[in-house]
Amino acid sequence: MVVAIVAAIVALLLVVAVILIVFAVRNRSKGSFASVKKSVRSIDSVGVSSSLAESEAKKPAAGTKVSSVNPADALKPRFAAAGVLGAVIFGALSVRLWNLQVLSGGSYAREAAENMYTNVATPAPRGIIYDADGVALVKNRSSYTVLADPDVADDRDVLLRLSAVLGVPYNVVRQRIQDTTSGAQSQRVVASDVRLRDIAFISEHVEAFPGVSVQTRTVREYPYGALAAQTLGYTGSVASEQLESLSEGRQVELGDDVGQTGIELAYDDLLAGDHGQRRVIADAHGNVVEVVSETQPSRGSDLYLCIKSSVQYTCDRLLAETIAPNGVIGEGRGCAGAIVVMDVRDGGIVAMASYPTFDPSLFVGGITQDVWDVYSSEEAYNPMLNRAIGGQYPAASTYKAFTSLAALECGICTPQSTWDCTGSWDGWNTGQPQRCWDHSGHGTLDLRGGIVNSCDTVFYSIAKDFYDKGQTGEISSTAMQEFIAKYRLDQTTGIDISGESVGRIPTPQWKAEYFKNRPEEAQWLGGDSTNMSIGQGYVLVTPLELAVAYGAIATGNIMKPHVLKEVRNDDGDVSVTVQPEVVATPEVSQVDLELVRDALNGVAMENAGISRNFTQNGVDPATMCCKTGTAEVAGKSDYSWFACYGPKDDPRYVVTCLVEQGGGGSATSAPLGAAVMGSLMAYDAGNPAQMGYVEGFSGQSVEIQVSNSGRTD
Amino acid sequence: MAQLPQIDSLATPDKAVAKSTRKPLFPAVNLPFIGIVALLVSFGLVIVWSAVSNDPDYSFPRQLAGVAAGIVAMVILWRFDYRRLSGMTRIFLIVNIVLILSPHIPGLGTDAGMGARSWIRLGMQIQPGEFAKITVILLDASVMARYGGKLNDPREYAKALGIMLIPFLCIMTQPDLGTGLVYLFIAAFALIMGGARLKYLLITLGAFVAAIVAVFAIDELLKYQTADGTYEYRLLKQYQRNRLLVFLDQGGADMSDEGYNLQQAMIAIGSGGLFGKGLLQSSQGTLGYLPEAPTDFIFCILAEELGFVGALALLVMYAVLIIICVRIARSCGDLFGMIIVMCVVGMWMFQILENIGMDIGLMPITGIPLPFVSYGSSFMVVNFALLGIIGSVWSHGAASGKKEAYEVTH
Repeated sequence: MVVAIVAAIVALLLVVAVILIVFAVRNRSKGSFASVKKSVRSIDSVGVSSSLAESEAKKPAAGTKVSSVNPADALKPRFAAAGVLGAVIFGALSVRLWNLQVLSGGSYAREAAENMYTNVATPAPRGIIYDADGVALVKNRSSYTVLADPDVADDRDVLLRLSAVLGVPYNVVRQRIQDTTSGAQSQRVVASDVRLRDIAFISEHVEAFPGVSVQTRTVREYPYGALAAQTLGYTGSVASEQLESLSEGRQVELGDDVGQTGIELAYDDLLAGDHGQRRVIADAHGNVVEVVSETQPSRGSDLYLCIKSSVQYTCDRLLAETIAPNGVIGEGRGCAGAIVVMDVRDGGIVAMASYPTFDPSLFVGGITQDVWDVYSSEEAYNPMLNRAIGGQYPAASTYKAFTSLAALECGICTPQSTWDCTGSWDGWNTGQPQRCWDHSGHGTLDLRGGIVNSCDTVFYSIAKDFYDKGQTGEISSTAMQEFIAKYRLDQTTGIDISGESVGRIPTPQWKAEYFKNRPEEAQWLGGDSTNMSIGQGYVLVTPLELAVAYGAIATGNIMKPHVLKEVRNDDGDVSVTVQPEVVATPEVSQVDLELVRDALNGVAMENAGISRNFTQNGVDPATMCCKTGTAEVAGKSDYSWFACYGPKDDPRYVVTCLVEQGGGGSATSAPLGAAVMGSLMAYDAGNPAQMGYVEGFSGQSVEIQVSNSGRTD
Repeated sequence: MAQLPQIDSLATPDKAVAKSTRKPLFPAVNLPFIGIVALLVSFGLVIVWSAVSNDPDYSFPRQLAGVAAGIVAMVILWRFDYRRLSGMTRIFLIVNIVLILSPHIPGLGTDAGMGARSWIRLGMQIQPGEFAKITVILLDASVMARYGGKLNDPREYAKALGIMLIPFLCIMTQPDLGTGLVYLFIAAFALIMGGARLKYLLITLGAFVAAIVAVFAIDELLKYQTADGTYEYRLLKQYQRNRLLVFLDQGGADMSDEGYNLQQAMIAIGSGGLFGKGLLQSSQGTLGYLPEAPTDFIFCILAEELGFVGALALLVMYAVLIIICVRIARSCGDLFGMIIVMCVVGMWMFQILENIGMDIGLMPITGIPLPFVSYGSSFMVVNFALLGIIGSVWSHGAASGKKEAYEVTH
């Protein structure tokens, strides 16, 4: 306030001074003329002789006249007005300048600094993703992007040179530079991931490429191609809606790469490093003129996964060889598949494969529309889906292990109970018998035999007993469902990557809700119970759920599956280790559990085909427990299942395999599972299988032949 | 018997007489006048050098060439007796019309990509409207000089006013409102200093205000809606409206080009502080935040680099130059010469007010250069030519001035 008053006074003084100067100058000139005139008049007035005066006086008089005729004299007020106008103009300008420069100078200086300095975040390289043994599955590499100013589009010579060097057609180069989607002012991407040779050429001939610049970025590199692609996930430029839903403390700039799926998404916070900061002087067009200060970006933390890459490679390779031996779906068996391998002791995911798969390197620098169109087409069978956790399938005969346990625990049967299988069963007296997969019948079987032979008739009878006792109120009408639910086949497993689907254990309540618009179908029927007992009907599981549940049969504990093993910081020190987590321990008697385990062991030993599969892969069938499954899906070929764990006495691994439309479980999936188990045993013996590069799916497929010649469970 | 002349009653010539009757060192040169011009031009050149040194679009040697050409023009006009031009009203009128309308000649005129046909190509681009400022001043002065310092006849006044408006109407065909306003200001000074009756002047002022209001009113009636829903005006261009709106709504969140320019200009000036950032240190100018920095916004560079002190120094130099010129006009024995000098003074005052005023939010933004400072050789030559004419008025028009007063008294 005081300063403002001082300023006003100074300005006022200035104006007064200017006006005074104006008047002083005017007065001085007037004064000098006046004195001259006076002296002339005094000569005139001295009264020399009159004769002399007449002619002589004329001249001075004329002189006087000239003086008084001076046109300015008559216009004196107007000169004064002009002087005042000038004083006002200069006074106003001075006051205003004083206000701007001295009184508000500080705030304007700040604004000028804001204009001048810009903080630029330099992206930090993401952490590297390793397998359990330190084999890098996802690495970083430098990528060179050629950028051009918008006006380069008008320079034919430069366009031709760019076209020749980059090997991109002239019209395409022009089109890319004219593309305004990244903002009217910003530089346009001419080509990304350019060869070092071409970059060197452009850099050495800068004068031939005005307006063209090269940018180095760190991008993801996948040494093994599509290995575990859906599990590892891919990165992409952050979308604006992602910017809003970021966790606290995570700094993301527009244009940064962030994880989009899989591990990359789940541990994005850890993988992403801290941005470097560059304080730069930038001109009005945003060009950096000078770098004032710089802090280096720090790389994100490295992740070590539970995945054993040799086993993972075996899984990816086996699925590809089985389903699309020549890269074309339909030429092999089935159209899609998934394999989950889990360490039953701690829940670590040793391998997780899903086919068809995608090549994550195609997402580096943004996936092209052509590739996206291929992956989105129906013929490609959705390669982006991680079927191991996101695919829901009828569990088929793999369910029988849980039905058996339910029957034993609920007192429906005893280990000594026997059933007689004739190949067909009409317990409901409908006249339309349900059939066992073996139409000729299994003869007399106990429960173990029922599991080993996967005899449907045994389980139809068990289901009928459940149903009947439920109706009479002897046990709960949903006793079977309640028991199976202990194995959490209707809940997500809580794995640390997103995209997990949930299975379904059908109950009367569920059915009523599901069919509420068709009340005539909403009634729970005995047939629903029998279908459910063999894992058909409305039963759905995901391969991962099944693996966790079989792990619970093996160890008694339901583990929480996790892909991450540990996190190491920049210096290689372990900062986080994932602790095994027991989600639940189903209450079941050890005797019953042993019976089922023994029966599953019997499946491995007593089925000649399965036994041979194990032996061929160097695995002793006597140490393995397994179950096949063949799911019938209306209008499609059968879905092929295989679940197994081992070694029997000291369980380490559980494997589940699924091949969509792959045919019989023992024919298609059992060899897969046996081979995976073989590679696990080889790994544990210190002879891991050879690693290799996994190709992404080409997107080609031919029609699948639907053939349901009958299940061969 | 007549008394003998009493010698002792004769007043001794006082100091002023002694001074005014002393033979000057260089009788043909007005030393303070030349001195302040030299100072002002040097100061301006330093600022231009600082403003263009990092900008390949401008050339400092070209500015120097403009000064050299201007000095030649000044010397020639100084020696030329301006009084020979006094009766050439008709010729000035014709020259004005031809000059100002020349950009409309096909093949010769160009809009230089700026939207207004204000330039002609003669090996280089020339803005004839700038050169016409000289002839407009001579035209207006010669019109008013006829009335001997008293214009009380309404018909004569209307005639004089009509002639003076012709250059304005011509320049509005380009259109170039900025230069047109300069012409109007010259005409106003000619009318005032030429002795037009105050009543007529006030009526004219009222008529102008009414005309401006009428333009806005008619524009409001003529506006039409474009496809995208905004209104398009026919008389005033959108950018002209924007400039006015920005001026009226300072500090508003106006993100138009005009609002941006004013904001950046004020940041540049304000950040200069008391003593400035030093020559060549203008961040606003060198980093391109100020558009047209060496031409229309040169004052911002000066104020940013040399601060309030530098800006005030420039204002003081202008004030001294104007005071010296007013003194020359005041002591001129010839009405024609007096009006010429006052018209030049008026023109400078208006250009200074407008150019500096627009940078600091006192005036709406228009592209009017700052005399002796702004980059551009056309206007530099014009200003030197005007200096030459003022010199001619000083040396030839002083009927009661130094030389003739000297002759009379001796």
